Amino acid sequence: MTGTMALQDGARVDFTRLRQERRRRVFEAAEGAGLDALVLGRPGNVRYATGARQLWRTGANPFAPLCVVIPRTKRIHLLSTWDDGIPPEIGHDDLYGMFWDPTHLIAALASIPGLAEARRVGTDSLTPFFGGVLAGIVPNFELADASGLLAGLRANKTVDELACIEVAVTLAEAGLAALEEALEPGISERDLLGVYVDTVAGLGAPTPPSESVAFATPRVGPVHYRYLASDRIINRGELVVLSPGALYAGYEGGIGRTRTAGATPSAGAVALADRCRRANDALIAACRVGNTGADLYRAWESTGERPAEIALAYGMGIGTETPMIGFGRSAGVTLHDGAVLSVQSWVSEAGVGGFLERELLRVGENGPEILTRSER
Amino acid sequence: MIEDWSAGATIGGKPIPALPDMERLRADRYAKIQDQLEAQGIDGLVLLGSAGVAHTSGADAPGEDAGKAGLFRSVSVVIRGESAPHLYTPFLDGVPAEFPADHVHGPLFPDLDDGIHEFVDALNSYFPAGARLGVDEQTHPMLRALDRYEWSDSASVLGASKILKTPDEVSAIREAQHITELAMESAREALRPGMRQTELSGIFLRRLFELGATANAIDPIWQVMTNTKAEGPWTTHGDLAYPISTTDQILREGDIIWVDAGICHQGYASDFGRTWVTSSSPAITERQKSHFQRWRTVVAATRDILKPGVSALELGRAAIAANDGVKPWMEHFYLAHGIGTDSAEMPLIGTDLGEAFDGSLIMAPGMVLVFEPVIWDEGYAGYRSEDIVVVTDTGSVLLSGLRYDPFEVAA
Repeated sequence: MTGTMALQDGARVDFTRLRQERRRRVFEAAEGAGLDALVLGRPGNVRYATGARQLWRTGANPFAPLCVVIPRTKRIHLLSTWDDGIPPEIGHDDLYGMFWDPTHLIAALASIPGLAEARRVGTDSLTPFFGGVLAGIVPNFELADASGLLAGLRANKTVDELACIEVAVTLAEAGLAALEEALEPGISERDLLGVYVDTVAGLGAPTPPSESVAFATPRVGPVHYRYLASDRIINRGELVVLSPGALYAGYEGGIGRTRTAGATPSAGAVALADRCRRANDALIAACRVGNTGADLYRAWESTGERPAEIALAYGMGIGTETPMIGFGRSAGVTLHDGAVLSVQSWVSEAGVGGFLERELLRVGENGPEILTRSER
Repeated sequence: MIEDWSAGATIGGKPIPALPDMERLRADRYAKIQDQLEAQGIDGLVLLGSAGVAHTSGADAPGEDAGKAGLFRSVSVVIRGESAPHLYTPFLDGVPAEFPADHVHGPLFPDLDDGIHEFVDALNSYFPAGARLGVDEQTHPMLRALDRYEWSDSASVLGASKILKTPDEVSAIREAQHITELAMESAREALRPGMRQTELSGIFLRRLFELGATANAIDPIWQVMTNTKAEGPWTTHGDLAYPISTTDQILREGDIIWVDAGICHQGYASDFGRTWVTSSSPAITERQKSHFQRWRTVVAATRDILKPGVSALELGRAAIAANDGVKPWMEHFYLAHGIGTDSAEMPLIGTDLGEAFDGSLIMAPGMVLVFEPVIWDEGYAGYRSEDIVVVTDTGSVLLSGLRYDPFEVAA
């Protein structure tokens, strides 16, 4: 459905409806929280509120006021010098251009109808400088934390959002198939990363959610999870973690599998895979409506595994989202109906290697619904 | 064989090495940060952004979407007078070998209230109440929990410590640029009518990683330029819309595409800009050749006067004069921007900061500039490329490649 023929009739994903629903929720939530203005700087939040397809950059970039929501005027203002990639509900009058001189940006913000009169202003983050800017534009304003408000909206997926995530998962699985095909003794981790990115870009998804998609695990000495692709040549019989993702219309899908390079798995590898699957099955079973992060920690501990080296689960939607259940955090977070979670288990054994499984699932009234499909 | 590309050029009397010594680079860079903390009376830095963390700690991280990079971020804490920062990170395999082990810690999660006490405890152990700290972002959990310090923007310390590069930093930028250019050569050779923009991205990115790049930095741009501004996207200022995000647009015979891409290699950014023509055998018209020649004339006019002591304003005026009095850059951008651990940083030449600012910005050895003039010929599109140069003790040296195919061949 990402091909050239699928978009004519809007089959499956109705993008207009998708954006309208998100926009309605943002206004409603901002009003409900008594906010007169919402200033957003996190790309995921800006995408959620505006639907704009803006230049994609990697990494965590410092906060800037990229988008201003005014519930009273029902307008959403966006930092963009052009209208390409900007949905029609955001008019030319709603765009403010890019500036290098902060006084010009301040003037552009100050001219947004309703911002200067605001009393309660929510932001998703801040810097000392923009805190000062807001204080200058909005006299006697009260700063509110709107990060949780946006996280709450984003956690509860609409049918159109779920359809986008499903497409993203499909793309990630295509990346996995290409990685599995390319995996043989003698190839390097970098080459595998190259195969992956060429595959998903060729399918129309050129911005990987993470470039950490393939690493070999050693059969000698301690085994740790690794993130950076290296020149390391993969040897026959090594366990290799393959964990590709993809973004479609801003939404993320991902999957994780572990394969043996060029050989049938050793007895030790089979035992490690069993441990990993047992642990992931326990985590998945704990992803039920009303359960908390503590239930996932307990599920992990019940398998007898050591404390996990990576997160047990995190939210997925417009990129990676909260909750982040891992590193001891978020034990008190409750799982709600409709939450989409990436759930993963990583186990290792000196002398054998490491094993990862990562599934994407939707928490529902009838239990967890697994969205990933590739063979385990 | 390692090419002697800098041909004996020096910065502060030190030769620019053909390849960077990364350990020396990190030590010198950290010393510059400490000098600025001292000079500005700042007690420390707390950095959450990918570029700031990489700049202060030297640690690599995988290229990631903002959402993932935000939630699973590294945090770097620099303390005035200490020989190394404290790094809080999930990416242990990206920590430099010489980094002291007792300064590496598990990740903090500044976006979460849960566990924010770990952040509080860490800063309490480093700084007394009332300490003056620079920061690049304050999440709401941080605003609530870390209110015992006097916060200011870290940009004043980092900006001042970044503007003059050491010879190793210059060499690191050149290395990032070299990898980018090699990968771009593969994309240009593959370019044919009927390809999608995203296919070009795939070819470029694949080659990039095969060549050893640490990470990609932006979604590569392959914008098809319209002949007139009006045929392109609407803009707030009436000037060109550029850069426009890549899609699965199918490229056609004769399409003029303005390419723009950048990576992050060992913490340093590259910036590749060229104009290509979509064809299996590109034929450049006389008019297009004249655009390219004009672009070269503009760059040459700035390079001719570029040396320590010349102002950004003088460089801008030289470029305008070489373009018959017409400003050869886009309204929302610049004639040139700096590059380092950020893809666009000071010095900026020709921005809306204005002539007074440009007049006070004086070139000095170690400044790196990406010249990206735009020659626009309304009705016939135009030409844009980017040249990266470093200001040396006596003039300037080119860090980007020499070729401008397919225009180089035709000119």
